[in-house]
Amino acid sequence: MPTPPKGPTRRAAIKTLAGGAVGAASLPLWARYTHAQTAEPIRIGFQVHRTGIGAAYGRWYDRTTQAAVRLINDSGGINGRAIEIVAEDDGTDPKRGAEVVEKFATQHNCDIGFGTLFSHVVIGSAPRAGELKLPYFVVSEGHHVASGMLNRYTLQPGITDVKSQVKAMAPFVASNLGKKVTMVFPDFAFGHDHRDFFTAAIEEQGGQVLEHIAIPPAETSFTKYFPKIPRETEVVYHVMVGPAVLTFVKELGEFFGPSRPEMFGFIDSLEAVAIDSPGLEFLEGTYFWEGMPRHAQPDQSDHDKFYREQVGVDARGASVSDPTDISTYAHMFGCWETLYTFKAGMEAAGYRGPADRPALIEAVEAMTDIPQSREHPQGAKIFNGKTHQVFGHQYISRVDGGKLVKVHTTSIEDTLYPDEVDYTTQPL
Amino acid sequence: MRTLIAITLLLALPPGILLAHASEQGFVLLLPTDIYISAGVASVALTVALLAALPAWVASRLFRPLPLMPRLDLPLHHLTSCLSALFLAFLVWRGFTGPRDPLVNPLPLFVWTVWWIGLVSLQGLIGNHWRWTNPWTGPTAILSRVTGSRPLLRYPSVLGHLPGIVIFLAFAGFLLADPAPADPHRLAIFAGGYWYLTLMGVTLFGPRWLVRGEALTILMRAYARMGLVGRARGRIAAGLWGWQVLAAPPVSLGLAVFIVTLLGTGSFDGLNETFWWMGLLGLNPLEFPGRSAVIVQTLAGLLIANAALIAVFALCLWLGERIAGTRRPIGHAFCLFAPTILPIALGYHVAHYLTAAMVDGQYVLMALTDPLGRGADLLGLGPFYVSTGFFNTPGTVKAIWLTQAGAVVIGHVIAILLAHALAVRGHGNTWRAVLGQAPLALFMIGYTFFGLWLLASPRGM
Repeated sequence: MPTPPKGPTRRAAIKTLAGGAVGAASLPLWARYTHAQTAEPIRIGFQVHRTGIGAAYGRWYDRTTQAAVRLINDSGGINGRAIEIVAEDDGTDPKRGAEVVEKFATQHNCDIGFGTLFSHVVIGSAPRAGELKLPYFVVSEGHHVASGMLNRYTLQPGITDVKSQVKAMAPFVASNLGKKVTMVFPDFAFGHDHRDFFTAAIEEQGGQVLEHIAIPPAETSFTKYFPKIPRETEVVYHVMVGPAVLTFVKELGEFFGPSRPEMFGFIDSLEAVAIDSPGLEFLEGTYFWEGMPRHAQPDQSDHDKFYREQVGVDARGASVSDPTDISTYAHMFGCWETLYTFKAGMEAAGYRGPADRPALIEAVEAMTDIPQSREHPQGAKIFNGKTHQVFGHQYISRVDGGKLVKVHTTSIEDTLYPDEVDYTTQPL
Repeated sequence: MRTLIAITLLLALPPGILLAHASEQGFVLLLPTDIYISAGVASVALTVALLAALPAWVASRLFRPLPLMPRLDLPLHHLTSCLSALFLAFLVWRGFTGPRDPLVNPLPLFVWTVWWIGLVSLQGLIGNHWRWTNPWTGPTAILSRVTGSRPLLRYPSVLGHLPGIVIFLAFAGFLLADPAPADPHRLAIFAGGYWYLTLMGVTLFGPRWLVRGEALTILMRAYARMGLVGRARGRIAAGLWGWQVLAAPPVSLGLAVFIVTLLGTGSFDGLNETFWWMGLLGLNPLEFPGRSAVIVQTLAGLLIANAALIAVFALCLWLGERIAGTRRPIGHAFCLFAPTILPIALGYHVAHYLTAAMVDGQYVLMALTDPLGRGADLLGLGPFYVSTGFFNTPGTVKAIWLTQAGAVVIGHVIAILLAHALAVRGHGNTWRAVLGQAPLALFMIGYTFFGLWLLASPRGM
């Protein structure tokens, strides 16, 4: 049996989530910070991929984080205390990641660790966070949190995991694009997750995967793999990543010409790349999963608009200072939302210092419904306290005139799957 | 005015980077790099052919310097060196106490971006600023004047440049293999510690330590030979890159090995990022396990690459001597021709770090506008966001790639010209020079291909 939360109740947590910012904002400006100026700041260890293969993502994770922290501090901080970000580069290196987590806990007196993206770094760092009992809020999209391989101190409350994303795509693909699918994916863990989760999900929808085409990760030319795509294929599901992904798209276009099957991909392949880039014309009319629509949609929420303004991103998902600098829009909202989630958790737990870390974990575990708001601009979410994983809407966009046009929003229910772990049974 | 200052600073500080190697290689793979590589290799080969056909004096005439002005012997270099040491002390202090983020803390930004990329490139492209900017000669001059002490030991001349070579390899090992060379605290220990140990070296052995054992000074003095601006017959003169190599006497064997090591290290610092190298190590380049997983492999690769380059270079020279029938001792030829490697090493340095400089230079600007991290905007940049958009549009990627390729090709062309001029000088006639130079010329043509292939290869770090 899970231990019932001591201090914060589930209701308190939800209330704080929904109303915290409004409450702080309603205070007169002079009153918001009075406490914060005298109190020690809350120190957030930001584990950021400044160098190594994650650096491009790291830059946007940093930019989003800085924007949210500025806003939080401007409206009174957390429990009247300002947030101080202690950014450490982990080199996108699992071993270094564990060292960074240790530094947060033992050298920098951080209250929590936050922000890790790459799965292998999360998997390398989380055990150390667990040993040191440092709440570790990852923004990684990996299934490793919900799969049960990590620990009670590791949570993913700001971004959905790949299993739920992939699962939620199957109903749309089966009913709109076709039931006979060929999957093309890189032959390592990232691609294998897609292979396993989507194959199961499409079969549940009465569809089938005709062929799994696993591409060696170091491959830079793909023409020889395309003849393996069966003729009766209705949909090609592709999730290529790495420097050769543009080559992949170009060669796929040359292979199929004008008569292609439907195409469905994950925007991860083209995150930070303009969808209307020369060479990507073949993608016109194809579909992509997006964690959050990169291009502002006709039904754009005020929250999305506000979020873009604060991060400095225009309606096409590019930096306001350089229209060619495309953001990692489908993922970076996770940093923003995670910050607001543990803010709510700290407020619900009455967090004062490292002694309250267990209470913070329990407060976050107690969260369930997270409504869409400025704090959660990607959409409403449900947090699963047992699996430490958040679930939310997924978006499917079609490339239309060089623009990603949202054509479908999944329900949260489409993304749910049975719990694989109950972290609340682990001791704090 | 503020904008003017910003622009001036931007031009004055070729921004460096280092470790945030941009991975946005997608558009490079779409470029017709095969054609570009062929064109680059062909230009170098054509240079070789032209030199064989043209009169012997052509190459050396190209390197004739133009006297500009009388030397200004302002005895200020000790003062500026002391200022440089003070600045380093400030940076080291910031390394220990400043922000933990390597792209915000001024120490890693300065050491890896401004100094290692920018100032090293300037030293080779323009001329010797290290005489004024090194942080040792001033403090040691003051120390010896104040204490009146003389070096405690005599530098063992049998060591030659060996300590310098060893220290340079250690520096390269730190740069390439250490898991976190840009970590401010870690870098502060290394930079501050190295400054202090060098000061001890000078106290023990006198200024000779700086030119035999202090790797960075040896490196800077070597690259100074490449500069456009230098001294000739008591005047400041300017000439084509490399003119000072022809004007200077042959280098010692130790320095010759050091110079070849510069190129070996620079080449390996491109090779170790390629899919090819990762394949060799059995790693998935799309899920690179981080630098800490490949420390031993990187160090081994660094040593093997350098040893292999020295061996191949020596072999080419030996063959050349055999073919030309001159049969000078191989050591003699090695010392004579090693400086011709300098333009290639410099070209690699510029090409390899150009992209990093474009990104991390922006972080340098941010640090300059707000040096103490208190929200200041001294340069009047306004809201400033670092951008890497130029890696994501075909036009800019093509321009960047061709600039990098240009640096590599120009480096090789100058190397060929220098080698030819030296060969003519040694052999006395063009034909013998061409024969003797043939293996080295083939080596350089091959190396051009290698350098351009490196630029075009997919990378995973």
